[in-house]
Amino acid sequence: MGDLFSNLGLGFGVVFQFVQWAPAFLHGMSIPIPINILLCLIGALVGTLVGVLPGIGTIATVAMLLPITFGLPPVGALIMLAGIYYGAQYGGSTTSILVNIPGEASSVVTALDGFQMAKQGRAGPALAIAAIGSFFAGCVATVLIAVLGAPLTKLALAFGPAEYFSLMVLGLIFAVVLAKGSVLKAIAMIVFGLLLSMVGSDIETGAARMSFNVPELADGLGFATVAMGLFGFAEIIRNLDAGGEGDRDLVQEKVTGLMPTRKDMMDSAPAILRGTVLGSILGILPGGGAVIASFAAYTLEKKLSKDPSRFGRGAIEGVAAPESANNAAAQTSFIPLLTLGIPPNAVMALMVGAMTIHGIVPGPQVMQKQPELVWGMIASMWVGNLMLLIINLPLVGIWVRLLRVPYRLMFPSIVIFCCIGIYSVNNAPMDVVLAGIFGLLGYWLIKHDFEPAPLLLGMVLGPLMEENLRRALLISRGDATVFFTRPLSASLMAISAFLLVLALLPSLRKKRDEVFVESES
Amino acid sequence: MSDAPSHVPGESILPGWIKGPQDFFGGLALVAIALFALWASSDLQGMRGFSFGAGTAPRMFGVLLLVLGFAIMVVGAFTEGPKLAVYAWRGPLFVSLAILSFAVSIRPMGMIFSAMASFMIAALGTHETQWKETFIVGVCLTAGCALLFPYALGLPLQMLPAFLNR
Repeated sequence: MGDLFSNLGLGFGVVFQFVQWAPAFLHGMSIPIPINILLCLIGALVGTLVGVLPGIGTIATVAMLLPITFGLPPVGALIMLAGIYYGAQYGGSTTSILVNIPGEASSVVTALDGFQMAKQGRAGPALAIAAIGSFFAGCVATVLIAVLGAPLTKLALAFGPAEYFSLMVLGLIFAVVLAKGSVLKAIAMIVFGLLLSMVGSDIETGAARMSFNVPELADGLGFATVAMGLFGFAEIIRNLDAGGEGDRDLVQEKVTGLMPTRKDMMDSAPAILRGTVLGSILGILPGGGAVIASFAAYTLEKKLSKDPSRFGRGAIEGVAAPESANNAAAQTSFIPLLTLGIPPNAVMALMVGAMTIHGIVPGPQVMQKQPELVWGMIASMWVGNLMLLIINLPLVGIWVRLLRVPYRLMFPSIVIFCCIGIYSVNNAPMDVVLAGIFGLLGYWLIKHDFEPAPLLLGMVLGPLMEENLRRALLISRGDATVFFTRPLSASLMAISAFLLVLALLPSLRKKRDEVFVESES
Repeated sequence: MSDAPSHVPGESILPGWIKGPQDFFGGLALVAIALFALWASSDLQGMRGFSFGAGTAPRMFGVLLLVLGFAIMVVGAFTEGPKLAVYAWRGPLFVSLAILSFAVSIRPMGMIFSAMASFMIAALGTHETQWKETFIVGVCLTAGCALLFPYALGLPLQMLPAFLNR
């Protein structure tokens, strides 16, 4: 317990760090500025700003904003990225409540009741309860991360290559089972990602693999490049298809009366609590459950409700529960990343990308060698949530105005912004072209109903998986049964196999699809 | 890579036994990608004793993708599924052109010029564009980026065309 407090103390110490700023015009005087808090604030603001744009999901937002953190020191960059992530999520729920265009799968359910509330002139309370629920979930999840972080790190240190490999297999299987849509296609996307990650030079022999003598490919496909293409450019092209303006159904009334009534609070308090618990659990699972968490929380509320018919017609619980679950899961999904070094979902995969650019290899070693980085980030999560609550509610008016920016002006701006961002990573024009190619690929994937998120996850896990597989087989002298004879690895493999069978059984598949069916009704 | 059937002619030309064309052609493209990857990694060294060669993992994943792609194809052929989606040409074409023009012109022409030019090209991607308004926004955006990236974010970018800097 003492550890917990000293760790959190260390974290908050990092967050509240002051840097003496001595600009020339002050003639030797210096002003202390809380640099990390400022970065968190800017991250949350910019994240909301981009996340609020209709049709741009959390992954796309984080991918687009990655380059702006490259110039910062590692701690600051990660704190800012975490801020961007929460901001993007909050922005996504704002769009679903006000415009009924969920930027991503996890806010689809928020749109169901949130938009109805907005139509009834209760957009204010809906937004407020979403923020309050998220904040509460964020507080609980922050403590949970701090509590679970240290023991899980100890566990991770007992892991050998065989266990790591099995754990990654489990993570990928979870990602498939918890995702929406066809299991087969999701697995295919993961394998496609793994295959793409093979481009570049081999870690051990240095041989160039599938790089066709293109010098830019010799280092492998840049992670930011692929993410920006698959999510940024592909989304833009897809949105252009839809005609941009046609389906925008913005609530025109002024958002008034932000504060929820006492009755609203009473109604949503248990929903927030249940959503938080559900989201925290689903978020820890490798495979990351922000999406399923919000769907499951909504379904649960509907089942528990005395009058289920209210759902879909502006029930405040229908906003409170999924938003809390969503945020709790988003936050606890940092646990597998920080302790085991394994990204559970596409956003965390982006965080890995960012860490690698700063020369940090996520995993148990980071927890021990750079505690200020990990605990600083954990503390900044709480601060980020607090900021969202404080700054975003008064700024709702600005976000609404932003929603009125016509798409015909927005999309070229995003294209240019992405281009400059990608170019600035390596100063390589070829990266921009590659991102464009991946944009077209992403567009094609969307058209054939393939999910790009598992692809990204596979791409990040590819090199790690190969390395651990190689090592495990080298240690066991080529004996492939090592994955099934070491107890820990064997149990991880057994769980994976069990899950996969479950997901493929027709009766259970129906149950799984039922959870997701809310969006279509 | 995305050289999949981009403009597949109408349903009439497709053989009748394909019940879910979307999955069938999706799987087919994955099979093609897998075959291409297997060919591309065929010159790499395979297993040496019990240690992996450079080509082992790519081949493993390639074969796996081949099998999965084929499975999706089979499923697509025998179960009722959605038809092929309609591809728009205008958006993808002009967005790609804008990206390409940026990549080609950033080195010789500098950021200000290439960002502005790409902005105008990208704006062609929709028929809703109103040129006066687009031009003004483009100028503002370029100015904003010219301040944001080098000064606020500390990312060194060349602003002006190379021949002016000499």
